[in-house]
Amino acid sequence: MLVDDHPERSASVEEKLKASGFEVICRLPTAAGILFQIEQLQPDLVLIDLQSPGRDVLESLSVVNSYNPKPVVMFSDEDDPAFIEEAVDAGVTAYMMEELNPQRVKPVIDLAIAQFKSYQSLRQALDDARTKLASQSVIEEAKQLLMAQRGISEDKAHKTLRTLSMETNQSLPEAARSVIQILGKNSGNGNNDE
Amino acid sequence: MNNLNPKALPGAEKQHLHLGYMRLSDSAPLIVAQELNLYTKYGLDVTLHREVSWANIRDKLIAGSFDAVQMLAPMPLVTTLGATGIRAPIITGLVLSLNGNGITLAPPLWEQMSALAPTSLHDRDPQATANAFATVQRQGDKKQVLTLATVHLFSTHTLLLRMWLRAGGIDPDHDVRIIVLPPAQMVDSLAQGVIDGFCVGEPWNSIAVAYGVGVLASSGFDIWNNAPEKVLGVLEDWHTRHPGTHLRLRLALMEACQWLADMDNREPIIELLSRSEYLDLPSDYLRPSLTGNISHDRGETPRQQKHFHVFSRYNAGFPWRSQAELILHQCEPLLGKVFDANRIASITQQCFRTDLYRETARLLEMQAPDKDYKTEGEHERPYVFSEGIELGSDLMLSP
Repeated sequence: MLVDDHPERSASVEEKLKASGFEVICRLPTAAGILFQIEQLQPDLVLIDLQSPGRDVLESLSVVNSYNPKPVVMFSDEDDPAFIEEAVDAGVTAYMMEELNPQRVKPVIDLAIAQFKSYQSLRQALDDARTKLASQSVIEEAKQLLMAQRGISEDKAHKTLRTLSMETNQSLPEAARSVIQILGKNSGNGNNDE
Repeated sequence: MNNLNPKALPGAEKQHLHLGYMRLSDSAPLIVAQELNLYTKYGLDVTLHREVSWANIRDKLIAGSFDAVQMLAPMPLVTTLGATGIRAPIITGLVLSLNGNGITLAPPLWEQMSALAPTSLHDRDPQATANAFATVQRQGDKKQVLTLATVHLFSTHTLLLRMWLRAGGIDPDHDVRIIVLPPAQMVDSLAQGVIDGFCVGEPWNSIAVAYGVGVLASSGFDIWNNAPEKVLGVLEDWHTRHPGTHLRLRLALMEACQWLADMDNREPIIELLSRSEYLDLPSDYLRPSLTGNISHDRGETPRQQKHFHVFSRYNAGFPWRSQAELILHQCEPLLGKVFDANRIASITQQCFRTDLYRETARLLEMQAPDKDYKTEGEHERPYVFSEGIELGSDLMLSP
């Protein structure tokens, strides 16, 4: 069972697990209903996103309780903080629902950790690219406005922006946004960064 | 506040620290220490991290992502025992707060209890509410077991709830169903009838009352007067490597707790705590318990309960080993085992570091208890423990 509110990520984990011969019986997007789902589906193993508040729920099942007779044990070698560290860094952890052979379980966890990590770096790269692209286009737009309204060269417009950014203690894209807001209104064409 | 010169203290082995806390009203000391620049005063640069589960708090502490954390009082003990899957020695030299919890029940259940009770439940006498709950439970359909929730198995909440149930003659393991839910799902689950009641920390009781989906049946204080609630947890090994940093951190937090002991300081911090970077909850929900003006039911006049959260007062920061032993005994049925006396004594001495508290108190020119154990459950009002040491009441419900 997978508990993760990032559908793309849990889909990729599922795909890899299937390719390795494991069966994913359920993908839960939130921790709501986790107790019910576990009782109904009785998974062997639960993989859970560290950002899910459902972890405390899962751990409560680990203890003798007449209503939840299935022990859930956190999968970790007690003497292996490195494993916990790796899982925490990747943002995923796992719970065994019953005594399983660790040799069989380890690859599942490793696979999930790898998928979470690659999702992390992919997301970071995507965020960086988006920010960069957005900054470039906003700077470009501000320069065009300056050139059109003040009749200056592109080079001069760029310098004006940079001076403004330094004087107002803003980043270049921030300064560009201020310029667009002011000049965009002046020109009356409603041209702003929306 | 004191004549302590931070420069004269042992140096900090590590200055930049990461601290984990949960979205609860009694996280106030960690946040107040930041806003009053108390960490800075002691040469520390602290980044606070709001977490989503106690399991994360514990694991990130063990993994080294966090240097120190706010923890439920039983957690250092049970984690050192290895009861929750991961075994790691965690110690505490400072109790951050006492009390702060409540048992809230669904209004229809409360109405049934009130109708069947021999006397009015309006005063919320804890024994009377426990009896009334038991009466409803016994008259109910045996197939429809009442379900109650807490936020963590090894929490003061679970222990308080079980004490209350047993006081009414209910077997918490068989007569009712106790489950764990994330705090943010509590109110919704109560409103939808998924659960019949819960025992949680603030502001979740006040939120349920404000929405009219819950009635506060008993405060945690009324079940166990001045029970230890949140503690400052660090890995034993981290303490060994960073004794100077740990001391400075305890000093900063003890000062924050002292500041919070003054009820006049509570209202001014509510807006601060409510901000999105901290608890991200409306001030109106944080106000009742922090100012000690609690509504038990929507529309009911709030009642003064200044002890709802206790910080610093009555030597609140002292990690009593007698309380650690009591907590461990109460955890035994949850774990399905009984510990021998030596094991309990050794875990208690390992985890509840009274020596560390005394070291901090001495530097702040505060008197600290000279004993590690006290009698529990015998004082119905504040009392003088030894010269200069006043302790709060410690009554608790018993079967």
